Amino acid sequence: MSGEVRVYGGWRDDLGLKVIPTRRLARDVYEVFIGPQHPGSGHMRIIIRVDGDVIVEADPDIGYVHRTMEKLGEIRGWIKPIPLFERMAIHDACNITLPYVRAVEKLMGVEAPLRAKYLRVLLCEINRIAAHLYGFAIFGVFLGHSTMYMWAMGDREVFIQLAEELTGARLTHSYPIPGGVRRDIPQGFPDMARRAVKYMRKRLEEYRKIFLDNPVIRSRLEDVGVIPKRLAAELGIVGPNARGSGIQYDVRIIEPYEVYDELDFEVPVYTEGDALARTYVRVEEIRQSLRIIEQVVEWLEKKPREPIVDESIYKKYPPLHKKILESQGRAKLLPWMATMKVPAGRAIGRGETGRGEIIYYVESDGGMNPYRVRIVTPSARNAIAFKYALPGHRVMDLPAIYGSLDYFPPEADR
Amino acid sequence: MSLAEVAAAIIGWPPVWQVLVIGFLGSLVIAVLAVWFERKAAARVQRRLGPYWASPRLGGLLHLIADMVRYAFQYPIIPRTVDLIPFLAAPIAGMVIALLPLAVVPFTSNPAYWPLPPSAMEYSLLIALAIVTLPPIFIIAAGWASNNPFAVIGGVREAFIIVAYELIAILGFLGAAASTGTFNLVAIVEAQGGIMWLAILNPLAFLAAFIAIVMSTSAFPFEIPESEPEVVAGPFTEYSGLLYALNMGGAYMRRFALSIILALTFLGGWYPLVPGEGLLMGYILPSVVVVVKAVIVVLAISFLRAVYGRYRLDQALDLAWKILLPMALAGIALGLFEASIGLT
Amino acid sequence: MAPRIGLKSLEKRRTLIDGVRSNLHVLAIGVKYFVNPRRMTLVYPKEYPRLSEGYRGFIILEKKKCISCAACARICPSAAMKMIRVMEPDPKHPEKPRMKQYPVINYQRCIFCGYCVDVCPTEALYHVNYHDVVYDNLAEMFWDLDTFQKEPEYKTALEGRPVRIMVHEELGLIKVPVGEGG
Repeated sequence: MSGEVRVYGGWRDDLGLKVIPTRRLARDVYEVFIGPQHPGSGHMRIIIRVDGDVIVEADPDIGYVHRTMEKLGEIRGWIKPIPLFERMAIHDACNITLPYVRAVEKLMGVEAPLRAKYLRVLLCEINRIAAHLYGFAIFGVFLGHSTMYMWAMGDREVFIQLAEELTGARLTHSYPIPGGVRRDIPQGFPDMARRAVKYMRKRLEEYRKIFLDNPVIRSRLEDVGVIPKRLAAELGIVGPNARGSGIQYDVRIIEPYEVYDELDFEVPVYTEGDALARTYVRVEEIRQSLRIIEQVVEWLEKKPREPIVDESIYKKYPPLHKKILESQGRAKLLPWMATMKVPAGRAIGRGETGRGEIIYYVESDGGMNPYRVRIVTPSARNAIAFKYALPGHRVMDLPAIYGSLDYFPPEADR
Repeated sequence: MSLAEVAAAIIGWPPVWQVLVIGFLGSLVIAVLAVWFERKAAARVQRRLGPYWASPRLGGLLHLIADMVRYAFQYPIIPRTVDLIPFLAAPIAGMVIALLPLAVVPFTSNPAYWPLPPSAMEYSLLIALAIVTLPPIFIIAAGWASNNPFAVIGGVREAFIIVAYELIAILGFLGAAASTGTFNLVAIVEAQGGIMWLAILNPLAFLAAFIAIVMSTSAFPFEIPESEPEVVAGPFTEYSGLLYALNMGGAYMRRFALSIILALTFLGGWYPLVPGEGLLMGYILPSVVVVVKAVIVVLAISFLRAVYGRYRLDQALDLAWKILLPMALAGIALGLFEASIGLT
Repeated sequence: MAPRIGLKSLEKRRTLIDGVRSNLHVLAIGVKYFVNPRRMTLVYPKEYPRLSEGYRGFIILEKKKCISCAACARICPSAAMKMIRVMEPDPKHPEKPRMKQYPVINYQRCIFCGYCVDVCPTEALYHVNYHDVVYDNLAEMFWDLDTFQKEPEYKTALEGRPVRIMVHEELGLIKVPVGEGG
């Protein structure tokens, strides 16, 4: 009997009464519901069964923040879903909308000019750092390290400030549009970005001292929640979690988009597969993103300004629009974009967000709305890892594993 | 006898002074101060301001008073499923017993103001340590009476932790007894005289005792029974209002009581003040010195919150059994060695 | 100059000396910040950030420039902007009123994406650089045509001190006080 979990479905018993589905637990197994209204769960529920202090079974129960993103994407034209999709992960706004924009661009047959591509990469990397810092903050609070929480949130503010200067909004930038981006860099932005990069490099050293090399934190993470390479591949885990398990997979490398193939950076891969490796992947990614920001900013500063929207759109600009683009660096939208029709066809957009690969499948029937927008977000693909990473660990490892997977429910539930 | 003399006699009676004034009133003030310091220190390390708006000039100190008032007037919700009597009794008993060690420790070398007769004073360290081990039982009782999975898990964790730290605490304090060759707290303090603090002479025992105090009052990095991400508030999950405040206050009072014992055994007690005759010089001022030293210990423990995370339960036990226990034993050996060469 | 995979591995730290040293590092950095806090906090109502000119704050209508094209209402992703019809004197025939459409906005729904400002062909809409405005009730957040033309009163500025937030190499974000009207 012990170790066995029998499940009874709902049926009618001899008297015709509905039997409520119940689940008989094996002896000595204790069922604990972590979430959804639980300090350590986020907007999800993890049902764990513990034998003593050891988790024998874990069941991630997702869907608490489902917002019908895919269905809403079918009724709002082509450009309005951009602010909508941002809401899946607002601190990673550019990364998460860019693949959609690129898919629509493919259907429309437009392409962003080179300068706009660099600007997109710039915001993407700012977002990636902000998203990783956000993840660190949550991770810190999961491990009871409130200083890490406050530091990461405070330093994230630096990058939010950069994004605000660039786009005019702290989080929901709605920055890329089909055919380009909405704004060019403002005066003084390159110096500001360089200062932020220098600052963050120094801070990463301090993070290492107080958090990563902290004996308490290190012992909580080392050899905890190991996902072997083979298992990670079987489960289809993406992003830093896969790279922490030794899988060399990053959309920026296997299918470089925008200008990633012209930039000099490394994609860190660790082979240990434990929570510590996943954490170190993120730290290294912050470091590499800082390198990318430096390169991009230098390019943007050196090259003369050019239109930041596609030629075909720029041609239709009235003189007033051209003047605004030149004087304020603001690319106006054209009124037909609100109700534009996109040629029939299918397109796939892929991109690497802070949490992993995101895929948009966009289908058009030639109308004013997308016929179908299918979104596969990285967190949705990583959610399954809970089921395999948790069993065998102690209850106190749950927050450590949760935090190291950097699972973000609103993104997974869409 | 005039009224003032009667009042002085009552306050001057050691159990009243030590348990009610130093213990209860003092630890209320110190709990507020320690929580305030904890929040302010964490805020400084975390580049924040911390409590501020309640009284900007005092650095938000009144914030904590407001918190206490809120706890006092909050409606205490008692779930129907709890075991009522232990549920209510546990926090109250836990807090009262947390203060009892103060009824047996001396705050002065003046025999007129000892809480115990001189013959019992010979074993005051042992009596105090025996009482110190009582309060955790009530934390487990609180968890058990709550009838809630999180509370039960928290209570079981507390039980694990007790087993780990109790031995270390006792062995650590016995390191002081080994150095000085006596269980008499007065003699231990006197042996340290001026600057020969046992914390310097016997750092191993001191560190073991200090970490045991951190563990026993579930301060960071050993805040395991109340670990928020998995077990909400551990044994106190079902408590609210004043009862919750009593539970939390109980932890601070225990920390304070243990810190006083630490201040006496390792930090030179009432020195540099030499107790004289009379109530003020012989009793009240020496006890203030001891309390100040204890408060510094309490604040140092509070500071750890700012820099450490939380150990896992088994790692905390690992640390206790594999590193701290040998350390405490080495402390005793070191103490005996020092005593044999006549260093103390 | 190309992206590449960088294979790395973790340093193992298991000796007691490593443990002691990293504990000391932890305490040292804690004390360093305890002594010199380098605070980032913005004491909000007392001091408030003067945001950059490009900030996407509240949206205001310049009625003179509006040509009633309704592009703003069509592109609004959250349907916060709607066109209403108003009777107004025709500048060409002062005796005959004419019907004209103007946008109004519901700030309960607005998400400040700024599409309407960017789509307006005559720049009749613009952003002000603040959006911390408080309303007593939800009904006030429906702006009629008159309200839409006035910049909302920025009450924070009445009590607070404006600061400009800058990125600093050592301290992250710093607050630089702005002179009155500066």
